[in-house]
Amino acid sequence: MTALPRLSTVFLAAITTLVAVLLYSPLAVPIVSSFFTIAHGNVDWSSPTLATYVALAENHDILAALRTTLIVGVCTVILSVVSGTLLALYYHSRRSGRTLLQFIIFLPFLMPPIISGLALLIFFREIGLERSLLTVVIGHTVFVLAIVYRTVLMRLQSMSRTLVEASYDLGATGWQTFWRIVLPNLSSAMVGGAILAFALSFDETMITILVTGTQSTLPVRLWAMMRLGFSPDINALVALILMFTVLLCVLAARFLIPRQVATERT
Amino acid sequence: MNQNTDLLTLRSVSKSYGTVPVLHDIDLSIKDGEFLTVLGPSGSGKTTVLRLIGGLEPLTSGEIRLDGQDISRMPINRRPFNTVFQDYALFPHLTVSGNVGYGLSVRHVPRKEIARRVAEALELVQLGRFTDRFPAQLSGGQRQRVALARALICQPRLILLDEPLAALDLELRRQMQEFLKSIQREIKTTFLFVTHDQEEAIGMADRICVMQAGHIRQLGTPHELYYKPNCEFVARFFGENNLVAGKLGSVQGELRSIETALGRLVCSIRDQPHLKTATDGASAFAAFRPEALHLADAKDTENRFSGTIADMAFAGSSTVATITAGADHAGQRLRLRMPSRVDGSTLKSGATISLAFAPHEGHLVLA
Repeated sequence: MTALPRLSTVFLAAITTLVAVLLYSPLAVPIVSSFFTIAHGNVDWSSPTLATYVALAENHDILAALRTTLIVGVCTVILSVVSGTLLALYYHSRRSGRTLLQFIIFLPFLMPPIISGLALLIFFREIGLERSLLTVVIGHTVFVLAIVYRTVLMRLQSMSRTLVEASYDLGATGWQTFWRIVLPNLSSAMVGGAILAFALSFDETMITILVTGTQSTLPVRLWAMMRLGFSPDINALVALILMFTVLLCVLAARFLIPRQVATERT
Repeated sequence: MNQNTDLLTLRSVSKSYGTVPVLHDIDLSIKDGEFLTVLGPSGSGKTTVLRLIGGLEPLTSGEIRLDGQDISRMPINRRPFNTVFQDYALFPHLTVSGNVGYGLSVRHVPRKEIARRVAEALELVQLGRFTDRFPAQLSGGQRQRVALARALICQPRLILLDEPLAALDLELRRQMQEFLKSIQREIKTTFLFVTHDQEEAIGMADRICVMQAGHIRQLGTPHELYYKPNCEFVARFFGENNLVAGKLGSVQGELRSIETALGRLVCSIRDQPHLKTATDGASAFAAFRPEALHLADAKDTENRFSGTIADMAFAGSSTVATITAGADHAGQRLRLRMPSRVDGSTLKSGATISLAFAPHEGHLVLA
């Protein structure tokens, strides 16, 4: 590979830095300002403090919203991983109706969330299901299912068919083959899918607003707080959510990107 | 183990994928304890034969018998056969011992016995030190041996090998051929080995079954196939050969003449009664190996003809001359293989020479 001329390398670096600064500097503002107090709408830069975090910890509304978010997230993950894996297995087994099924799974993910949310809202009212955390979990599951399904299906399709044949050939039953060969080979894809599903559920706002009952999740709570006016603990909250999301992304990448295969020895 | 009893018999087995037939009416008997190679070009149906026996695919018609019992509908996990797959199909999440012990563990063999038998099997394939490695940490040849150990630990009646050496480089392939053959002698289990490589087939097999286009063309020892091919396909596919088209002539004892563009040739028909009874004037080929062809001398009274050397190719231990013969020394290309000499051959391209082969080294195949 020929090296780029020095000047254009510098130019490229400058452009890249500029884009990165423009894209990500807004994120830095709340993080930095979360460590300072705000008086009369202005940040007081003179004394760094953790006061906003203390205020956040004492805000019972926020803590309740956080708990709700976690409950919804965990339930959504369980539901979507189990059903997403089963649906991927069904699709992979080449039985009838698979194309239509896949279309239906992807639809809620691709539609504008407000449409999905409204459709769900109307559906729940028609069947007489009270709006509650259950409806939120159902809404989130419908939304994130496509991600888990796709992740697991891709792993299934990259798995050599002869693995299953070899298992049968060695005397295993269908059940043994599933538990001892298929599932272990899908597990990292399932974990990766679960983390992505949790991250999506964590910040889902539009569908949640439409189908929730009296309880609000963290993003919904945040939304409400913003409308009432800017409060310093929002900065702390944003900083925390940001950290958490970055952590999830790193984890998901670890499980979804194939591990470095040990170099072949000859 | 009795080499003369049939272990497995295929009776008019056919297989189609949808409307596409891949096997037509196959009849095949595999003897107990033999090393049988199924040889054929790609698309000949050889892998399908193996998959039908292993139970990986259902038959379209016909039956497969094991010790005389019909097993055509026996599910794959009950058949006492194990397969070494072309891509080895090692379980990536299990260690070498996990892989090798899998067949015992799914049958709920006690842990201690599994450990003992895994150690034995790995010792047999010389991988004793690798028990805790994962497949990704092994070389191609090592994976191959793990796959073999995994197949033979269940003590199957028959081991099916689907081109297991295809992915290895030449040197390793030669080593593995010898290794497989020695293991087969040691454990005295029947091997059914599928390959498209005739050199591999000659080197390892007790018997070879040549397939083409979903049919079995010939079944016999490597020697029989090499010296008594029963059809044009086998004569051309199995080893290098010279085929000269012509019309059958008269029978004289164990010889029969054939009229060709090279004149009247005389070839052996020993132990091939169908060639004795074939009608005069029937289309046939005279077949003789490049190493049977030689420069004619005074003793050669039969099968003499002249040709022009088109090319000389040095191939290490032997040298191959490409010769054009027949009318005007054109139309018929022949190959002559002779031992190489350190001071080179006196033959040069463009020279016209007189050639011959002994009648008992020539054979006939019907067109």
